[in-house]
Amino acid sequence: MEGANWRRWAGYTVASSYELLHDREYHAIRSSAALLDVTPLYKYLVTGKDAARLVDRVIVRDALHARVGQVMYTCWCDSAGKVIDDGTVSRLGDETFRITSADPSLRWFALNAAGLHAKIEDVTESTAALALQGPNARAILQQLTGADLAHLKYFRVVSTTLRDMPVQISRTGYTGDLGYEIWLHAHDALAIWDALIEAGTPYGIVPCGMLGLDMARIEAGLMLLEVDYVSAHRALIEGQKSSPYELNLGWAVDLKKEWFVGKDALALEAARGPAWRFIGIEVDWENLERLYAEVKLPPRLPAQAWRVSVPLYVEGRQVGYATSGCWSPLLKKYIALGHVEAAYGNPGSRLAMEVTVEHRRKQAAATVVPTPFFNPDRKRA
Amino acid sequence: MSRSVVVIGAGTNGLTAAQILATSGRQVIVLDQKQPADVDFDAGWVPPSVRAALNIQPEAEEQGSWLVMPMEGGRFELFADIARSAESIRRLSPRDASRWPEFCTRMRRLAGVLETLYQQNAPDVETTDPGELMHLALLGLRVRGLGRQTVIDLLRILPMPVAELLDEWFESELLKAAVGSTGVMDLCQGPRSAGTAFVMLHHHVGRPAGVFRPLRTSLRSTLSKRTNVEIRHDAAMHLEVAGERIRAVTLESGDTIETDCLVSSADPRRTMLDLLDPGWLDPEFMRAVHNIKMKGVAGTVTLALSCEAPFRQMSLAPSLTHIERAYDDVKYGRPSAQPWLELRNSGQKIEVQVQYLPQVPREGAWDEAGKRSLGNDVARRVVDAAPELKDAITGIRVMTPLDLDAHGGLTGGHRYQGDLTLDQILFMRPVAGWSRYRTPIGGLWLCGSGTHPGGGVAGASGLLAAREILRDAR
Amino acid sequence: MAANRYDAIVIGGGHNGLIAAAYLARAGRKVVVLERRERVGGAAVTEEIFPGFKFSMFSYVVSLLRPEIIRDLRLPEHGLQILPLESTLTPMENGDYFAAWADHDQTRRELLRHSALDAEAYDEYGRLMYHMAHAVKPILGMVPPDPASLRPRDLKGMLAVGNHFRSLGAEQFHAMFKLMTMSSADFLDEWFETDVLKATKSASGIIGTFLGPRSPGTAYVLLHHYMGELDGVFRAWGFQKGGTGGISEAIAASARSLGVAIRCGQTVQKVREKDGRVRGVVLENGDEIDANIVLTSLDPRRSFLELVDRKALPDEFVADISRFKFRGSSGKVNLALGALPDFTCMPGFGPHLRGAMSISPSMDYVERAYDDAKYGEFSKRPYMDIVIPSLIDPGMAPPGKHVMSVFVQYAPYNLNGGWTDAKREAFGDAVIGAIERFAPNIRSCIEHRQVLTPLDIERITGLSEGNIFQGELALHQLFFLRPAPGWARFRTPIRNYYQCGSGTHPGGGIMGASGRLGAMAVLEDHA
Repeated sequence: MEGANWRRWAGYTVASSYELLHDREYHAIRSSAALLDVTPLYKYLVTGKDAARLVDRVIVRDALHARVGQVMYTCWCDSAGKVIDDGTVSRLGDETFRITSADPSLRWFALNAAGLHAKIEDVTESTAALALQGPNARAILQQLTGADLAHLKYFRVVSTTLRDMPVQISRTGYTGDLGYEIWLHAHDALAIWDALIEAGTPYGIVPCGMLGLDMARIEAGLMLLEVDYVSAHRALIEGQKSSPYELNLGWAVDLKKEWFVGKDALALEAARGPAWRFIGIEVDWENLERLYAEVKLPPRLPAQAWRVSVPLYVEGRQVGYATSGCWSPLLKKYIALGHVEAAYGNPGSRLAMEVTVEHRRKQAAATVVPTPFFNPDRKRA
Repeated sequence: MSRSVVVIGAGTNGLTAAQILATSGRQVIVLDQKQPADVDFDAGWVPPSVRAALNIQPEAEEQGSWLVMPMEGGRFELFADIARSAESIRRLSPRDASRWPEFCTRMRRLAGVLETLYQQNAPDVETTDPGELMHLALLGLRVRGLGRQTVIDLLRILPMPVAELLDEWFESELLKAAVGSTGVMDLCQGPRSAGTAFVMLHHHVGRPAGVFRPLRTSLRSTLSKRTNVEIRHDAAMHLEVAGERIRAVTLESGDTIETDCLVSSADPRRTMLDLLDPGWLDPEFMRAVHNIKMKGVAGTVTLALSCEAPFRQMSLAPSLTHIERAYDDVKYGRPSAQPWLELRNSGQKIEVQVQYLPQVPREGAWDEAGKRSLGNDVARRVVDAAPELKDAITGIRVMTPLDLDAHGGLTGGHRYQGDLTLDQILFMRPVAGWSRYRTPIGGLWLCGSGTHPGGGVAGASGLLAAREILRDAR
Repeated sequence: MAANRYDAIVIGGGHNGLIAAAYLARAGRKVVVLERRERVGGAAVTEEIFPGFKFSMFSYVVSLLRPEIIRDLRLPEHGLQILPLESTLTPMENGDYFAAWADHDQTRRELLRHSALDAEAYDEYGRLMYHMAHAVKPILGMVPPDPASLRPRDLKGMLAVGNHFRSLGAEQFHAMFKLMTMSSADFLDEWFETDVLKATKSASGIIGTFLGPRSPGTAYVLLHHYMGELDGVFRAWGFQKGGTGGISEAIAASARSLGVAIRCGQTVQKVREKDGRVRGVVLENGDEIDANIVLTSLDPRRSFLELVDRKALPDEFVADISRFKFRGSSGKVNLALGALPDFTCMPGFGPHLRGAMSISPSMDYVERAYDDAKYGEFSKRPYMDIVIPSLIDPGMAPPGKHVMSVFVQYAPYNLNGGWTDAKREAFGDAVIGAIERFAPNIRSCIEHRQVLTPLDIERITGLSEGNIFQGELALHQLFFLRPAPGWARFRTPIRNYYQCGSGTHPGGGIMGASGRLGAMAVLEDHA
């Protein structure tokens, strides 16, 4: 396997793709099933009498009233209301939560826990996580577990066994498709991986690396820390920080909660309106074709998702920047995620994205569109 | 505003704040936290601004010698009168005696700058407010007005080690110890540590030129006799919060007082992290409060006497090196093998401040046996220095930093509610950005010596805090 | 005598002197550098002390050399080549260790072994220090204003300093204030719980000072480790190829190419002055060299109390310089090794040997080392920073053999009873004994050893009291107080006599900033 097919993720080495090309892996997500090792996610277990209180004061959503078995996608902020990280919070019991994050978060939770009766445990090493994503995910997984997956609703988690090994199965994922994430003891990971491959082979299961996942997550409109936004804890200047409202996560901010870190600043911003918006962008195909036609070439499209800052313009003035994008083989569209000044963020707004056509910078016409770009019914059904 | 203001703590600062608030028409309840009677926290200068606000007469300056130290073949004494001290110093070193007057003048001028700073809010150096900027500019001009030498002295001397400063002036070890020891009073540093020259000057405020020991004050007992505030002998156990504002305080007795204005003279850490309902503060603020250095290293041994001691104040440390070595022990969690003792005549007893004692010894513990042996050791040293007291000691009582924490309500056993180091004074006290007595919780205020200007300046924190509260209410 | 007349004379051929000379020559001046020793470099020299074994005799690592100097003087073309120093290994008393590697993930894993919270705090701390270094950088490049002066230039300067700090924002301003005033121990306590991590970090805060990790004022020096990273230099610490002397040689080569005359073996005895104006210098051999401008890169004591007639200076200035503190506190042991040391905590050959080995097993260990020095003894168990340059640059030793450089603290200049040959050897033995506790085979590896006390450093390099920074980096000797209040602007009370050594702002380390700023002061006055 060639070296370029490995990459770093949170201190682990993971496969960019298991095959030399990643497109079969991407297509499996949308057409059959893909199995991904997402173990490098940071995972924390919060337990104790004040566990719900601690989680509630850190995240922007309401954790006090979350039901056991509920999973919440949320972000958390510093006291100025700028996003530090995003991840999922699963209520596993009355006094037990599991939190996943992209950056190490133990210290932040520990600082917040001062005076509270709550214990935070880093279970990143001891807990493995596998994501089974795609239209056939349920059929494959159901063969291996007694849990009733047909009735496991979107963003719910259940404790069960998989071939007699204790696991938790959540109906979540990073692909915007029907899919599950399986949380298990690290020492069972190989056995469960093999079991899933074995049960999934008749259904076309394919191990999938980061390149395939990256395209799927852009189609699903899901942002990525350090790619699409900078953590308030890592930002070197104020201008690099974003609020939840600026990241299109305003829906998650629960200002009715009595207090949480950043609430005061967020209440002000909610009243004032955000300065920036995080948007989906669809590049106008005809226009792109024409730009290439000028140099007598057919449009050249990125084979992989890109992760660089690309200027966005309105009438020649830069109004924002795209942070990741790809050609969607499924939708046959060139799509991207980006930040624009709030005034230009409404769906239907016209703007232009910089493209390099045969070494020369051009501006391709584009439209702001709602995300997700691809949102199949099976995701929630 | 019908509900009462509750003030936690009946020390000089709590009572001062209570008086100012009561005078402006508030109902005030003061919670007397029952400090042990013979721990005297009332050392310090009562600034004129505090006296004026409370309508209190200045206390009479003591006459005669302010410090006695044993020396070869007799005693060395220092007096309020500069010439008289110089005469005394001449026996140690004629060179030092000739430099004494200028030293006293230079130090007095610097203490004067501190006195100005201590009677007003800490300068807000990051402000963009024109009023504050003007205030800063005036302050700057005023200091410049004192001359080039004072400006350079301020910048150069404040961050110096007191030992180095005194080495520049004097050669007598005894004299340097007499003056320099106040640079480490109640501080977990030795005289060779940077910033101790500032601490020496801090303890010089309010004193005449040539007197380098803080004054005693009866401010607390004077104020506690006033009847315009209600004093309750009960302790705050829990501060309730609703909607980011203070709501009520629960007392040790089980009572609850509802209030929307609570002024705490307890130390910032106890107030914000122990008493306050958890879960309301920003993590960075909590971290800052948690990080306030309060390393209490001074204990008190009280010797009951059958007669009165023949001196007002005596210091037992032959040199600053002696004190530095005493400090070395506490760095590794040991009580000083050869401590620095500061004796104060208190009528029929002597209060001895003992430095340095760890709050928790790394080996052993402050159990009865440990305290007894400390008490006996101190008594022996006192008798060695003042043989006339040989048969006069009738009782020994020991308070370690741990006792001050457990019974005196002082986190870390620190008398000043936070070390007076350069990173914890002025706009950095109690924590950076919160020097104006307020807290992130609406209606909760700090007024103890953990706030600007800090311990050793009696009533100033209370006065400045009360003024902020009143300004806020307008 | 045209041959003995120059536009400017630079006294001292250390890196600052050479840099000042090069900048002046670059501006078209005819300059001569007078160096007392037979070679240039001052404390940055490479010497073949034992046949086949070359040592960076004093200064041994580099990170702080200002990038604008590297660019302006085209030093890479003249031989500057920095080889990265990748890791730091700290052996602990209990047989464990702490290691920091070039690979961030590897360091994080190592930290996780000690404390999960510290692993996270480490990154946040690193970011804060990055910010702080960024905030300090403009101050390092600034000519300090005189806060007691009412001249418009100084008022403007003070305002610029004030505005600079105010522009940082509250959080960073407060962090800066803390860094300037706290002890490294207290500052690190706010961040970390792992003792050995704090000990290793704080050790970098005491290098060259007569202070312990618990002494206020040491936190500031922690910044130095982060300074280099600002200029986009990844893995900023390193060795000069061929030893630190190579840096001096590169600067000298650059200076010569710009027309500077460099005369070695020429000891300046006096700076000639008439009517408050400098006229030239007199050499020990009686020769006189004329120039209307003289720059001294020597330390303030030599520059003002030895080279100049005190009567030419104001009393107050003489008093200020007399009390300027030197108190050298570090020694150096250079070892020629026949084999590599074997560390108990990480046995055998490995990448750790290519990095630094820090003998700072605990906070108490380093503090105790200081306690000894405080009362006039060398540390019985000293803090040491050890490197083996021959593993990175094989030319430094015969094939299969190695050179080991041991920076040792504390060794007070004013040793009780004074330094003698016997004391020097006892000091060397203490150093070897302290290494032996962590690398038991060290004694059998040693073929030759050179022990340098602060007194030796003073004798060889001329640095007063062997202070490697030409004066302590204490709060009251920094910025506008360095070397004396009112005289921090590189000028002196004698007209056209300038300072350009590290006894001026910003001081210490092979930074070169003082040399450059000194030359700038000359060019500003003599445009």
